[in-house]
Amino acid sequence: MLRLIGRRLLLMIPTLILASMLIFALAEVLPGDVGRSVLGPYATEAQVKRLDHQLGVDRPLYARYAAWAGHFVTGDWGDSLQLKTAVFPVVMRAFGNSLLLALFALVIIVPTSIVVGVFAGLRRDSALDRGITVSTLSMTVIPEFVSGVVLLYIFAVWLKWLPVQAVPPAGSPFYERFYYLILPAIPLMFLELGYIARMARVGTVQVLGMPYIRTAVLKGVPRRRVIFGHVLRNAMVPTVTVIGSQVGWLIGGLVVIETLFVYPGIGKLMVDAAQYHDVVMLEASVLLVAVVYMLANLVADIIVALLNPRIRKGG
Amino acid sequence: MASEKFTREYGNHLVDEVLKGRMTRRQLLVRASVFGFSATATAQLLAACGSSGGTSASPSASAMPSPVMGGTLKAQIPPETAGIDPLTIFDQGGIVLVYQFLEYLVTLDNTNALKPMLALSWTPNNDASVWTFKLRQGVKFNNGQPFEAEDVVKSIDRALNPKGASGALAALGGILKQGSTVATDTYTVTFNLEKPFADFPYLVCVSSYNTAILPRNYGGDIVKEPVGTGPFMIKPNSYVPKQKISFVKNPNYWGKDSSGTQLPYLDGIDFTMIQDEAAANAQLQAGAIDVEPQTVYQGAQALFADPNLRVDVYPGSGIREVAFNVNKSPWQKKELRQAIAYCLDRKAINETLYAGRSNLGYDTFWQPTVFPGSPTPPERAQDYNKAKQLLAAGGMPNGFTATLTTSKYLENPQLVQLIQAQCKPAGITVKPNIMSPTAYYAGSNANTPWLNAPWSITEWGSRPTPSVYVQAMLLPDSTWNTSHWNNPQFVSSFNSYVATPDAAARTKYATQCSQIQQDETPIILPFYISQLRTQRKNVYGIQGPGSFFFFCTQAFKTAS
Repeated sequence: MLRLIGRRLLLMIPTLILASMLIFALAEVLPGDVGRSVLGPYATEAQVKRLDHQLGVDRPLYARYAAWAGHFVTGDWGDSLQLKTAVFPVVMRAFGNSLLLALFALVIIVPTSIVVGVFAGLRRDSALDRGITVSTLSMTVIPEFVSGVVLLYIFAVWLKWLPVQAVPPAGSPFYERFYYLILPAIPLMFLELGYIARMARVGTVQVLGMPYIRTAVLKGVPRRRVIFGHVLRNAMVPTVTVIGSQVGWLIGGLVVIETLFVYPGIGKLMVDAAQYHDVVMLEASVLLVAVVYMLANLVADIIVALLNPRIRKGG
Repeated sequence: MASEKFTREYGNHLVDEVLKGRMTRRQLLVRASVFGFSATATAQLLAACGSSGGTSASPSASAMPSPVMGGTLKAQIPPETAGIDPLTIFDQGGIVLVYQFLEYLVTLDNTNALKPMLALSWTPNNDASVWTFKLRQGVKFNNGQPFEAEDVVKSIDRALNPKGASGALAALGGILKQGSTVATDTYTVTFNLEKPFADFPYLVCVSSYNTAILPRNYGGDIVKEPVGTGPFMIKPNSYVPKQKISFVKNPNYWGKDSSGTQLPYLDGIDFTMIQDEAAANAQLQAGAIDVEPQTVYQGAQALFADPNLRVDVYPGSGIREVAFNVNKSPWQKKELRQAIAYCLDRKAINETLYAGRSNLGYDTFWQPTVFPGSPTPPERAQDYNKAKQLLAAGGMPNGFTATLTTSKYLENPQLVQLIQAQCKPAGITVKPNIMSPTAYYAGSNANTPWLNAPWSITEWGSRPTPSVYVQAMLLPDSTWNTSHWNNPQFVSSFNSYVATPDAAARTKYATQCSQIQQDETPIILPFYISQLRTQRKNVYGIQGPGSFFFFCTQAFKTAS
């Protein structure tokens, strides 16, 4: 098990190096340049060229990458080309916000999805199962900008039950942040509920068909013990894998939600950085999300290994 | 104030022009503001014309209650593109923030007329090649440093540094260069222009946003040294780029209202940077913010219908420049350019894009409904017969196919669709080429789509005079000559127009310019966009003609 973890952690290093190279190369093919982005469309060509030179972005790609990487590995994340401010605090603040929203959403989504999915699986092909399947899938297909706008207007503008902003006023106690995150978390729940619940349902149905479950039932093991002791434990394997793969998206992929609810997360930060050719900001934020993505998958694999002794023991 | 002799002579001339019917009273007001006439002198001129006159009030002025002291205004603003450097700002997010704590020599009222800010008066010499600005005395920067002529000289020279990055370099190019601004005494500044320019005060007013007055010893980082003379100050550590910034009132601000009350009324302003229009509208309707400086027409219907909000409409001069690159096929032939112009139903376009609230344009910058004092151009109504005649004259009797390039910005794509639909009956097939704004403005002057596409639509924010537009885009040496048009006759008339303060001569040259521009049609100007500003109903007193211009010196909030 420890070898598995060590190997996966080591694999992260070449993955991140490759990702950082790809980001630099991809940023290069985007139209426009930093000087034009900073000075705007009405700056003269000479002014743009001068700024590009000052920022060093007119150097060859390999030279820029080597200079950036040399600083990055020593902990110097550099200054934003666009905002002329240190990248580290900006990225970490945005990352912290995204992490909070993702964790809050997961706390709502995971138990709800599992309960709903397992419930549907235990009552396979019943009206309840069909009802759950249809309703969760319906929620999943609604794009988040549609559900977000509708929820925003119903609960914040008309009913005024929830705040329209996703961040409380300065000086508010920390716990109040969760109240402000309820509304942005609901569209995420809509998106994820159907997906994760379906995994939980399928896992439950598959496990219920296993010989060892039949044996347990025929042995007269109480139903509650069968479900909690055998079904749930084994049915969770695909569900946990799916949840692990969604964590990266929940942190780095919520551009629409962040835009609509004016939430200063890392998704919007990455989009802005790409749009304005701020490759220093882009590298730092994308690599951070990549690390989280890989760690989330690693944690999911560890949980799966704990749930399934065959994987844990390499069998 | 303008010198007594100049006021008397030029004033008499203006009154004569009005009495002879060659100028309207509104035109007189604008010309008087350009030449720095005092309020009293302007009122005397209007009285001599037989009218009490007066500029039109802001849309909300008639219902304005007594000002209330205190409170914090919560305002939305689009995220600033690249910080709030006063020398390089170019977007609404950056400009509006700078306006709260920095000031300019001259400001604009809600009708685009010039008003004193840090300069009390401005006077030209006989050919408008030397301008003398008298400065306001007793003004201090918010760090206690006195404001003097040396600060103006250093600010203007800093902006005009040929090796600098300021947008002022292009805006004042060919008119004023570094080293030509002189402090004649502690409170007098003289601008020695490279060529006569009768509209010069507009080039150092708030619309020339890179000419903000900074202290003479400004170090170059406005966030670290937020020193200005404005009504508000940046609240320490409140600025989070692209997210939020707070301002607190400057307790030593020089301004007082007409009753002598110290300005500003507000204790502060909290700006939240919100990019998405739907998000901003929802926050406004929910009461999380009090005002959005610029409301986009698309999606504004809910705001018009909301009883808690007030939407003010300002007759702006922002445009969508539909430019033909006259060096590229088929646009070398002016008949084909004119044919497109006659295919357009401008009223329908205005109705579709701006709910009929914008002013119509007729392919010339001299549009009196937008720039008072301009000669009235012939209207260009949709006329397919004429369009077909022009197509035949241009050698394309059966029409042709052309690609129209623009950026995916606000209503640009819809405008392309409308042009496409309206050109079709004449046999002209328009192929849309919609790019991201980044791609549209990418590249060098030699290859960027916005300056090189054969046919393009580019958005321009408000400019205060026709001359500022022409200087930027219609002269052979204009930095942003999208159409690549070079008409010596137009250039000659324009140079005469900007060189004379004489109202009759200006009208004569403006008429020539307008006729040439309309006839040649290097660009189509279907409309001048009126700006929408939306606020909660308890918010009053925000000044400025919409859009970028958002001045809160006299803004206040009532209890309900």
